[in-house]
Amino acid sequence: MAIRLEKVVEKFYTSLEEGKILGRKCPDCGNVEFPPVYACNKCGSYETEWVEISGKAKLHSIVLPAALSTKPEYKKMKKFCYGEIELEEGSRFNGVVLGISKKNREELSKKLPLNVHAKIMDRDIGVKTVVFEIDEDQL
Amino acid sequence: MQKLGKYARSVSIIGVGCTPFMYTVDNEETNGLTEGELFGYAALKAMEDAGVNPQNVDFYFHGEASPLNGSNYLTPNIQIGNWFGMKGKGSIHHSEACCTGYLAVEQAVNAVASGKYDCVLTGAVEFGDSTPFPADNVETPKHPYKREKMTMEKFLKTTSWLYDRTYTRTLMAGQELIYDDAAEWYVRTRGLTNEEMNKTLNWMCINNRKNASVNPLAIERTTYEELAEKAGMTLEEYMNSPYNPKMGDFLRAGGLELKCDGAAALVVCATEKIPEIAKNLKHKPIEVLGVGSAACEASTPHFEVAATQEATRQVYELTGMSGKDIDLFYANDFIITSHLIAAEIAGYLPEGEGWKYICEGRTAWDGDKPINSNGGRTSFGHAHAASGLADFYEACKQIWQECGDRNVKFKPKTAFLRGYGGAQNVASIIIKELEEGESYGD
Repeated sequence: MAIRLEKVVEKFYTSLEEGKILGRKCPDCGNVEFPPVYACNKCGSYETEWVEISGKAKLHSIVLPAALSTKPEYKKMKKFCYGEIELEEGSRFNGVVLGISKKNREELSKKLPLNVHAKIMDRDIGVKTVVFEIDEDQL
Repeated sequence: MQKLGKYARSVSIIGVGCTPFMYTVDNEETNGLTEGELFGYAALKAMEDAGVNPQNVDFYFHGEASPLNGSNYLTPNIQIGNWFGMKGKGSIHHSEACCTGYLAVEQAVNAVASGKYDCVLTGAVEFGDSTPFPADNVETPKHPYKREKMTMEKFLKTTSWLYDRTYTRTLMAGQELIYDDAAEWYVRTRGLTNEEMNKTLNWMCINNRKNASVNPLAIERTTYEELAEKAGMTLEEYMNSPYNPKMGDFLRAGGLELKCDGAAALVVCATEKIPEIAKNLKHKPIEVLGVGSAACEASTPHFEVAATQEATRQVYELTGMSGKDIDLFYANDFIITSHLIAAEIAGYLPEGEGWKYICEGRTAWDGDKPINSNGGRTSFGHAHAASGLADFYEACKQIWQECGDRNVKFKPKTAFLRGYGGAQNVASIIIKELEEGESYGD
């Protein structure tokens, strides 16, 4: 491989249209970058390779949306929270998790980390994005 | 893990200047003030305070978080140098949004420590509460001095520019977690109840306002006790009432910044050159001992906590100091939770116990562990880029004991300033007054 000028962002979003969630894996240390970027932030390798994400993940924290932290578009998600996601492949990032509300927040907080799985969802800006849902056996 | 090297030579703050933080368009006396007038005032006050002439200053750094939106400028440093006697001198503009005023010190110290310059001005200006007239969009021709109030709607739209367009905005969580992530982290890791966190958030607001109430430069000086009395409520009732509504999962309205207009500046000088350059020096120089830096883009889990931990580790490793060596603490608390979590991470307050210090009023200006003695972002105000330098202004004035009746109740020598902003830059900076007998020149 060589360092390449490559449309990583476009490929990420077009792959979502095809039902695939992509990250980039470091050939040197195995670290997976999600969302996908050029280089490895764990070992510093210049290069990473495309890899499909399984979608299995854990949720480590729960913050509920409120007046300041929501937008009209988010209403379609109904019950959801923001939190720290850890993919099965190891990447950690802030994401949205569906199925959490004021009613079940306290009970679910005691069970953290919770098993969740990825879901591809439409955004109003004409692209798809990745959110997560709680696994049924966690409810 | 980043290891910091020692500065090639010592650099000290020798003068400070700051405007009142204000809503310029709301008052006839201030409506129509411009960038050159605000920055120029702060710069000249800093030079006067340092006992230097503009001709003694080699270079200046200019900070403004959002110059296109707030000033209709792309190169704001170029437009104002002639306002404070530095026409033709070199300068640079930088923006790290709300962290600008802290990294302004980093830039200036590096420039002097390297040996390139001996004496440098670093300042920042922001019109956080207004935009050039007409405020329809950035492309239309603008009036030379008239401004319009910046609506909260427009402000919130422009803050989206702080976040990564390719992924973070689309994933939706990073930009929304700024309000409550640190509170959630504190509750979960310290074992607080939600009620205890609510009380702690309220007491941070109360303490900040108490500090601002005695500070003539602060934008909001009415204490919460006075507001509660006016509303016919106890303080606790008021803080949990619709007067202070829940705006976030944990955060109430009182814990949000008061965006406003203002400017601040410092003069830094090579410590060894002070007798030669600052012939009318008024105070003991305050040495900048080190600046730890970290930046976590908003999709990073617990970005504020993670970056504060790393920046603080760096500066303590460099200086050999710990929280026990810090007399005064400042944290950029445009979301007020910042001042609790930053003070604990820095060891200024004991881990897991900081919330109790806050609820007991010990972190107010007259307590034994003052935090944000100027009033912080929720009461002193937040002129975004200028706020960090306003914190340095306050820290230096407190160390020099020039705050009159509101001097903290002991003689401080050191201060820790935790900068934060721009989704998200963090700087952990330690300053210390030079001791009697410490040489700063021949």
